[in-house]
Amino acid sequence: MTATNGQTTLSIRDLHVSVEDAEILRGVTLDIPAGEVHALMGPNGSGKSTLANALMGHPAYEITAGQVHFKGQDVLELETDERARLGMFLAFQYPAEIPGVRVASFLRLALNARRETEISVMEFRRLLMEKMQMLRMDPKFASRYLNEGFSGGEKKRNEILQLAVLEPELAILDETDSGLDIDALRIVADGVNRLRGSDLGVLVITHYQRLLNYIEPDRVHVLIDGRVVESGGKELAERLEAEGYERYGAAAASEDA
Amino acid sequence: MTSTTRDLITDLSTSHGEPGWLRERRAAAWHVYETTPAPTWSDEEWRRTDTSWVDWDGAAPAANGADPARLALPMEVSSASVLLRQRGSMVEVLYTSPEARDAGVTVVSLAAAADSDGDTVADRLGTDLAPPSAGKLQAMNAALWSGGAFVRVPEGAKLTAPIVIVIDAADQPIFPRTLVSTGAGSSADVLEWWRSSQAATPGLANGCVELFVGAGSKLSYTHVQAWGGHAGSFLTQYASVARDAELATTNVTLGGRFHKGAIAATLTGPGANVRLNGMAYLDGEQFADHHTLQDHRTTDAASDLLYVNVLDGSARSVYAGTIMVQPHAQRSNAYQQNRNLMLKRGPRADSIPRLEIMADDVRCTHGSTTSTIDPMHLYYLGSRGLGLDQARSLIVDGTFEPVLDRIPDATVRSAVRTAVRAKLHGTAAA
Repeated sequence: MTATNGQTTLSIRDLHVSVEDAEILRGVTLDIPAGEVHALMGPNGSGKSTLANALMGHPAYEITAGQVHFKGQDVLELETDERARLGMFLAFQYPAEIPGVRVASFLRLALNARRETEISVMEFRRLLMEKMQMLRMDPKFASRYLNEGFSGGEKKRNEILQLAVLEPELAILDETDSGLDIDALRIVADGVNRLRGSDLGVLVITHYQRLLNYIEPDRVHVLIDGRVVESGGKELAERLEAEGYERYGAAAASEDA
Repeated sequence: MTSTTRDLITDLSTSHGEPGWLRERRAAAWHVYETTPAPTWSDEEWRRTDTSWVDWDGAAPAANGADPARLALPMEVSSASVLLRQRGSMVEVLYTSPEARDAGVTVVSLAAAADSDGDTVADRLGTDLAPPSAGKLQAMNAALWSGGAFVRVPEGAKLTAPIVIVIDAADQPIFPRTLVSTGAGSSADVLEWWRSSQAATPGLANGCVELFVGAGSKLSYTHVQAWGGHAGSFLTQYASVARDAELATTNVTLGGRFHKGAIAATLTGPGANVRLNGMAYLDGEQFADHHTLQDHRTTDAASDLLYVNVLDGSARSVYAGTIMVQPHAQRSNAYQQNRNLMLKRGPRADSIPRLEIMADDVRCTHGSTTSTIDPMHLYYLGSRGLGLDQARSLIVDGTFEPVLDRIPDATVRSAVRTAVRAKLHGTAAA
């Protein structure tokens, strides 16, 4: 069931999403082919995180219209865990802190949920250590409680660690750059770049262009007020960095950028 | 009725060949029992705890005869230092490791110890810690206990494997009694496990544990209550902790329909360090009440308590804990935390922390939380591919983990974890 390069992995058609009766997304249409990195940029409040969470099936987000297909399957019919097992992954902007649940034991369960046969404890250990080394994480991390007492940067690195171990086919990175200093940003970006290849589709959601200096996007989309108003190549991100979002109108300009 | 019971107690004592002083203590305890009123709702300690099911007038020594179910031991025999098993009233030592033998550790039935270690037992059994005057239940146990376990760890002995006490009950009342005494500078782990089959359970179990932790010694004592379905159970567990000694007790409450634990540690010498840990996983109609006391009677001692309840079905829990610091007990450091996790809307958890601080140079804090599973936690775990049941069970495991973490011995910790998981996943603990 592996998509090949050029095939569309994720297809979003005219997606409308409401939170507590307020419409946040007002008709989003977007395709992410396998193997491509797409950036979604926009000012605060434009609906970027809403899109990320709607794609993953957050219980508070109501889909009022539109369609989302992943690897040809209608994912709006699926529960969050079913979407994950199908190969979708969201690196959260604010990952949950779950006391008492150790990073390693949680991640092994999660990996086994995606596999036909269970990975052995030894084999898992080796895999985990290899990925942690790649992200320059202290091995002690594995026995800490999931995100509890983690710094902002540690949480983000832990999200990318999960991405690296679970090897999904679509990774949505929701403001992974926020709260990261420049060194951590480089390490995280390196990690993502190593996972790039013929299969993984990536949707990088970010406010700033900074992250895109390290993770070079194939396409850039601008989300304003719940709609994609412009799409282009990586030069679009540079232009946004120079000019800001003001040119897209009053609604965007009123946001604090 | 009363005179009959008195005769039965004498018969019990005689049949065990007990020394005269012990027979007299049983008779005296029975007298205290008869003259102490049963707990009622109006007593602060029993306000939330219904004991109307107890047949106070029918209390009598357990009859021999009924054979407890044959349950698998909670661990490999050889992973223990000593393994003592009580079935009904019959006690047998199933295994003693070379290490325990070389260290001179004594683990025998309490009845045998009344002979072999007469002075220690006479000095410590139901005297300072849990005398009959402590209450009607303590008096009942002091009069009626049978079998029993005596553990003496000599000065300087250090055991690397746990001493395991298994109490197997049939469908008859049972009165377990344990006395543990650690000599100066020694170190030991003790695991006591109360069990019965699901079908044949003791209607009344009333146990009493006394722990004497000697100067500079280390004792970890773990108690697992895993009675079957309809057992009603009382546990008194009192400890005294001497200078520079360390005690960790962990109470694991899984079985029965009713459980009341009275847990206390008295810190008697500077440098004493106590950890009181507890975890209960309750479902259906189960009820569990834990009253705890951290009693600081000395300067410069520390106590830290963590009790965690996870409740499903329409279960109920009561946690009531007191930190008491006596007037001269300066520089006491005491902490108390109770956490309750509800898996549904049906259960109820009462949490009553209390501080009685009579010294002025102390650090005492307490905290209590009661919560349901956070839907955002389920969403997060779901986004990694874990289904609802898997995510919930991981969260429950995680809620108990900080308590399991405080059980120092890996063998004990793993046996407890297995028992909790077995209940969580609805498989028989055996």
